[in-house]
Amino acid sequence: MRRGAAVRGAGWLWLAPALLAAALLFGTAVGETRIPLSTVVAVLASKTGLTAAVPDSVDASVIWHYRLSRATVAACGGASLALSGLVLQALLRNALAEPYLLGISAGASTGAVAVAVAGFGAGVISMSAGAFAGALVAFGLVAILARAARGTGVQTTGIIILAGIAGSQMFNATTALIIAQSASAEQARGIMFWLLGNLSGVRWPDIRLALPVALLGLGVALWHVRTLDAFTFGADSAAALGIDVRRARVVLIGTAALATAVVVSIAGAIGFVGLVVPHAMRFLVGVRHARLVPATALAGAVFLVLSDVVSRIVIPGQVLPIGVITALVGAPAFAVVMVRGRRR
Amino acid sequence: MSDTPLLELVGATRTVQGRDLVSDVNLCLHEGEMLGIIGPNGSGKSTLLSMMAGLLPPSRGEIRLAGQPMARLRRQQIARRLAMVSQSADTGDRISVRDAVELGRTPWLGPLRPWSARDDEAVEAALLAVGMDRMAARDWSTLSGGERQRVHIARAHAQAPQILLLDEPTNHLDIHHQFAILDLVSQLPVTTVIALHDMHHALRCDRVMVMQSGRCVALGAPLDILTPALIRRIFAVDARLIAHPADGLPLFAFQRLA
Amino acid sequence: MLRMTAAALAVLVAAPMAFAGTDYPLTLTSCGHEVTFDKAPESVVSIGQSTTEILYMLGLADKVAGTALWINPVLPEFAGVDAKVQRLADNAPSFESVLAKRPGLAVAAYEWMIGPEGVVGTREMFDDAGIPSWVMPTDCVGKNNSQGMDGARTVLFDTALLYQGIGELARIFDVAERGEALIADLKAREAAAIAQAQALNLPDDLSGVFWYSSADTQIDPYVAGVNAVPGWMLSKLGVRNVVTSDEEWPTVGWETIARANPTFIVAAEMNRRRFPADDIAVKRGFLSSDPVTSQMEAVKNDRILTLEAHAMDPSIRAIYGLESLSDALAGLGLSR
Repeated sequence: MRRGAAVRGAGWLWLAPALLAAALLFGTAVGETRIPLSTVVAVLASKTGLTAAVPDSVDASVIWHYRLSRATVAACGGASLALSGLVLQALLRNALAEPYLLGISAGASTGAVAVAVAGFGAGVISMSAGAFAGALVAFGLVAILARAARGTGVQTTGIIILAGIAGSQMFNATTALIIAQSASAEQARGIMFWLLGNLSGVRWPDIRLALPVALLGLGVALWHVRTLDAFTFGADSAAALGIDVRRARVVLIGTAALATAVVVSIAGAIGFVGLVVPHAMRFLVGVRHARLVPATALAGAVFLVLSDVVSRIVIPGQVLPIGVITALVGAPAFAVVMVRGRRR
Repeated sequence: MSDTPLLELVGATRTVQGRDLVSDVNLCLHEGEMLGIIGPNGSGKSTLLSMMAGLLPPSRGEIRLAGQPMARLRRQQIARRLAMVSQSADTGDRISVRDAVELGRTPWLGPLRPWSARDDEAVEAALLAVGMDRMAARDWSTLSGGERQRVHIARAHAQAPQILLLDEPTNHLDIHHQFAILDLVSQLPVTTVIALHDMHHALRCDRVMVMQSGRCVALGAPLDILTPALIRRIFAVDARLIAHPADGLPLFAFQRLA
Repeated sequence: MLRMTAAALAVLVAAPMAFAGTDYPLTLTSCGHEVTFDKAPESVVSIGQSTTEILYMLGLADKVAGTALWINPVLPEFAGVDAKVQRLADNAPSFESVLAKRPGLAVAAYEWMIGPEGVVGTREMFDDAGIPSWVMPTDCVGKNNSQGMDGARTVLFDTALLYQGIGELARIFDVAERGEALIADLKAREAAAIAQAQALNLPDDLSGVFWYSSADTQIDPYVAGVNAVPGWMLSKLGVRNVVTSDEEWPTVGWETIARANPTFIVAAEMNRRRFPADDIAVKRGFLSSDPVTSQMEAVKNDRILTLEAHAMDPSIRAIYGLESLSDALAGLGLSR
């Protein structure tokens, strides 16, 4: 008996926890400084209760509180960003759709700059909170713009993209205005470092936001795999297949916006993940979302953990912004996968 | 139940920015019939089909599906009774023929209602019905226009609807494929509404509705209403009905108005 | 650059014998840019707390038409004087606001204010406006401002650059005598501070780190590079900087700092409230609550010292800073 194509070939998914665990272990073992692997394993074993507790020390704390928390949050962030890109690409029928397109990242930047430079919140509100607020404001604005522009003859998917571009430009201009008005070079440095993505401030408490949001994103996407498939031939076709298009858009794009805003507020604006991971996964597992959603979540998580490791070791004694790595690593990997996929 | 029409339009009107795209259309669809909608470009055929499919709500009037107002039905309920093949729906995704046909099962599935053997049967039957069963593994991007149209029809077939709506399915196809598609559609055991361009194709329908400027100007058996006078008035051409020299079936001969 | 320093120092050494007034026209090279004065400038705009306080110390407050770029409050003895001078901006002033004062001279503490990529203007822009410009040698001699965010210092900072700057300003304003007096005074104070530092008789294996601020409380902090002013202080104290980068204010991860295990941490205190970690209380709170930094010996043994941020910049306050640091270290009981 045949089974639906969407379900066939999902056996590899049993490998997912092992892959993820390997990536997390790698991310914990490699850091700014050298700690022997035996120490790393011993600390992890004791912290997880497998062996007797070891006394707190700088090394143990670095492994547990800096590296593992950072790798875990990176995994959650990578999964969230990749899934956001996947959902936006499916719903907007645009291969270039990703959080940047909706102006979410631009809004987050403006929020962060408003806090850091213009003194919004007078040192009480952190840049992360500013970024989160900015991301949500940007999404709301783009949604309102897209709504207002309805019925002007542009196709709905086009409207959202145009509204996103308009929103991005407006937020970028606002950011430039704030910086030009009041920033010194030193301030600009703090902001640049942050805008290119930075996981150095991540600690365990961040997992309280990052993990639920990643699980929410994964859950919502898995619940809607057939909805996402139904958009293959466009929104009208999806509606004809019984999809409540408006509800699907609100739930799915809303979840993507929330997930992106949370990631941006924790780790800054990390680009390229939402674009590169879903496309790479389409070549590897096909376009059906029953396979694509879990594959994208897993690959996004592994990709960001590895990018973070690379950002820590590529220049000794210095940590590069992770956004630089995601772009530098992502582009060639994307090209290789694309060429191989075509030859198949 | 049997005296409740499958689909009923009562004074259905669609107004966009003060202009009526579809105006006051009344229609009762009979079970098992094939209804052709014909009219010049911009006469409102596509809009009317979208309204019948529940994709566009009427600005005035009402559309009922098996006696229930469409506005009160959930999209999934509509899609289980009614399938639509719209004009040139395309995708850039690397999707296979089988994948595309499987999409037709969407209204019958849900997160808690997984894919079953029944769905596989429906997909196989649909592929077989359009003669694409041997090409099920082919990539969408490698298909010709006629093959794509057949896959779309197979997808609609897999949806197991009572009503099938088709928006100019023979558009951009060569003459051979035009006939192949029409033969295929007329053999399907469903009630069909089909928007058409070619008057000869309309002759194959059970009933024909002629539209002009969003209004229904004639509705009835093809040979009763496609009169030279109406064709001249609506399409601005001189038409004469002649018998085919071989089998005697009716044919139109057109001439530009002098 | 080094040869130029040597030449400048030679001039300074020779200067005490030439208490006579400055001979105009005076031509000198400031950060590679030649400036000529036909007479002592009538007025000056000072961009940088370091240059402003030097001008006040030279008794030139009445000539200062405007100030900008403040990091800490002005030295208490100049509070009254400073209150009468217009502050063009707390940070960088605009080019036009400087021009509007029609000053006879514009001085800056940093090249990123007036220099090749100056946010206020380039040297050429000031030339074109007919306003001579001068930049503290502390920001260009032995320093590469095209590298890193705040430049990289290729040679360990030395107070000689500070004295060179004071001497040049004194000559420009024809107050060489006051300049020499000030330099002599500062040198005496520096010598005393160094003597005090050495009298601490600290063990050889001590190390320290200077934390300026962080863009967000938990992320990688800005710390003093190996050759920056804090590096000079540590060299006088015989203490090793755990940071090895030669950038002026490199960003170094807490993992690296914590595992380098410095004997003490010097945290900068400042009025600025741009980032939460500008606040010394936030800095201390972070160090004691973060799971890693709280494990550091320096934190466990409460060896977190406070130093005003301006003392970590190349300014006369560096000398005061060395004094306060020696005092603070004396209280830690680290001596042999």
